[in-house]
Amino acid sequence: MRLLQVSLRSLMLYALLLVLVSIPVSFFFIERLLNADVDKSLGFRLDQFEQHLKLYESLADIETDLAVMDRLIVDIDILPADQITKRVFRTVERYDSLENENRPYREVSTGIIVQGKKYQLAIRESLLDNNKLVGTLVLVQALLAILLATGLLLLNRSLSRKLWKPFYNTLSQLKAFQVDKAVSINTEKSNIIEFDDLNETIQHLTERNRQIYLEQKEFIENASHELQTPLAVFQSKLDNLMQRASLTEDEAQEIIDLEEVVQKMSRLNKNLLLLSKIDNNQFTDIEMIDIAQTAKSLIQNLKPVAAVEGIAFRTSIQPLLIRANSTLIEVMLTNLFQNAVRHTTKNGTVIVETGEQYIRISNTGEPLTMDAGKMFKRFQKETKNEKSTGIGLAIVKKICDTNGYTVDYHYKDAMHVFTVTF
Amino acid sequence: MKILIIEDEKELAKSIARYLREESYIVEVAHSAHEAEEKILAFDYDCILLDISLPDGNGLKVLEALKKNKKEDGVIIITAKNSLEDRVAGLNLGADDYLAKPFHMPELIARIGAVIRRKKFGGSSRIEFNEIAIDLMAKTVFIGDKEIDLTRKEFDLLVFLTANKNRVVSKNAIAEHLSGDNAELLDKFDFIYSHMKNLKRKVQEAGGEDYIKTVYGLGYKFSV
Repeated sequence: MRLLQVSLRSLMLYALLLVLVSIPVSFFFIERLLNADVDKSLGFRLDQFEQHLKLYESLADIETDLAVMDRLIVDIDILPADQITKRVFRTVERYDSLENENRPYREVSTGIIVQGKKYQLAIRESLLDNNKLVGTLVLVQALLAILLATGLLLLNRSLSRKLWKPFYNTLSQLKAFQVDKAVSINTEKSNIIEFDDLNETIQHLTERNRQIYLEQKEFIENASHELQTPLAVFQSKLDNLMQRASLTEDEAQEIIDLEEVVQKMSRLNKNLLLLSKIDNNQFTDIEMIDIAQTAKSLIQNLKPVAAVEGIAFRTSIQPLLIRANSTLIEVMLTNLFQNAVRHTTKNGTVIVETGEQYIRISNTGEPLTMDAGKMFKRFQKETKNEKSTGIGLAIVKKICDTNGYTVDYHYKDAMHVFTVTF
Repeated sequence: MKILIIEDEKELAKSIARYLREESYIVEVAHSAHEAEEKILAFDYDCILLDISLPDGNGLKVLEALKKNKKEDGVIIITAKNSLEDRVAGLNLGADDYLAKPFHMPELIARIGAVIRRKKFGGSSRIEFNEIAIDLMAKTVFIGDKEIDLTRKEFDLLVFLTANKNRVVSKNAIAEHLSGDNAELLDKFDFIYSHMKNLKRKVQEAGGEDYIKTVYGLGYKFSV
């Protein structure tokens, strides 16, 4: 759920609750206010009535007049009573013949004494219909609630579109960000302090990351270069040592072992350098290449080597033209072929086939003991073969990634199968 | 034969010099571009080994200086930077060969021999020892007046060994010379052994002497 939707939901909930609660509360207060107003006017009328009654108390037939008044005036009751009560205000329901229904009235009643006789006097005023009052209130409040909800929703929509635009812009750039690509994050000024702050921090962070990445890459490249000269010193000294006539067989073996170490280090160095160069996009010359042609000549070179282990090549290669850098293609195919030969069982077979935009290299061999997913990672070795550097397939993967090819591996019918799709 | 080594890593220069001297080359060493330029102007060398990355400037400048002074010395670039651009730039400036560090000394010897042959003897393509005659251009080998039929690998092997005659050549150096990067895949001894066996057999069948001696544990030696 989006941030604005979350905040909107709580806001809406609160606003609707407020509107609902306000209906009974305002009803209660409005009623009290109305009653107080009516009570004031009723009290005033009662006072006047009592004063006027005192003026006419001396009249002989006042008693009859009071009876007549009780009958004629709807709003006033004067009835003989047994006792004198105090002034009391209350709300009563009475039948309204005009409207043909019961209607609410506010009534004040009090006991009075006229010529020594006790009477109960009540004066009434019609009240506004409660139901109508509630109805109107609910209507008004409901309207308010609807306006509130739609208003908030519309505002939210335009806000999330306008206000959050720089945020989503930055987010999509961050998602696309790759430390090894030369595309930096370009944010626009949003005039919102938090967003500008965020953008600035992100820009700083990504720039720094890239800087560190570049430095590291440069370091690998320099270190690889610098190591080649000491290795050359090492190798040349070994070559000198070999010429000594007095060498024993053991010493000779040690020299050969050392020489193999030098060669392995040198290969490792060259491969690291190659990875770094691919990262640096130093292979930019693109030309039309026939994969079949390249594969055939590489296999031709490998055949005598593979033959030592009794490994045979079977090929089914049709011309397959792609536009690519020839060095990279050669490196990729060499690594795949060498990998296949290295992991083929004695007297096994390596099969190379090409098809519609793909080349497939299969070799007979025992199933993997390692996780196939780790295969393309650097220095993940399956083989006990000490000559393997563990970088070959990582280079294949890197070349595929940078050129938009895919490389797949699966094990089927006792064969390791690698497929590169161009 | 005079050789100049231009290499700032003193130990490497010393070690190469020692190996070359035992091949009876006359060797001089320069540790900087400046020193190298002085030597180049003063003397003629049959072959110059040039490291491109020198402390006082790019070694390619030395090549330019040679060219400007119309010097005919053969040049082999030895470098830690095995990049295509450097290789192309070097060869375009008139270098004769290019060797990436680290390298086997027998490989360097073979390359120096080829450069000198090209420069000195007008590209003569014949190598002769006693009864063996090798024609590098025609890729033919004669024992006396009898031609023997060698495979490509056997031929390369023979040429490589004769270039390093009387020196021990390790099986690693041979394997790398014969199959380049693929050398890492093989059991070197098995691979070389089969070629070596065939080569020796063919030479002996034609009446040649068996010059190739096995140096136990290390490799082989072409003893004349």
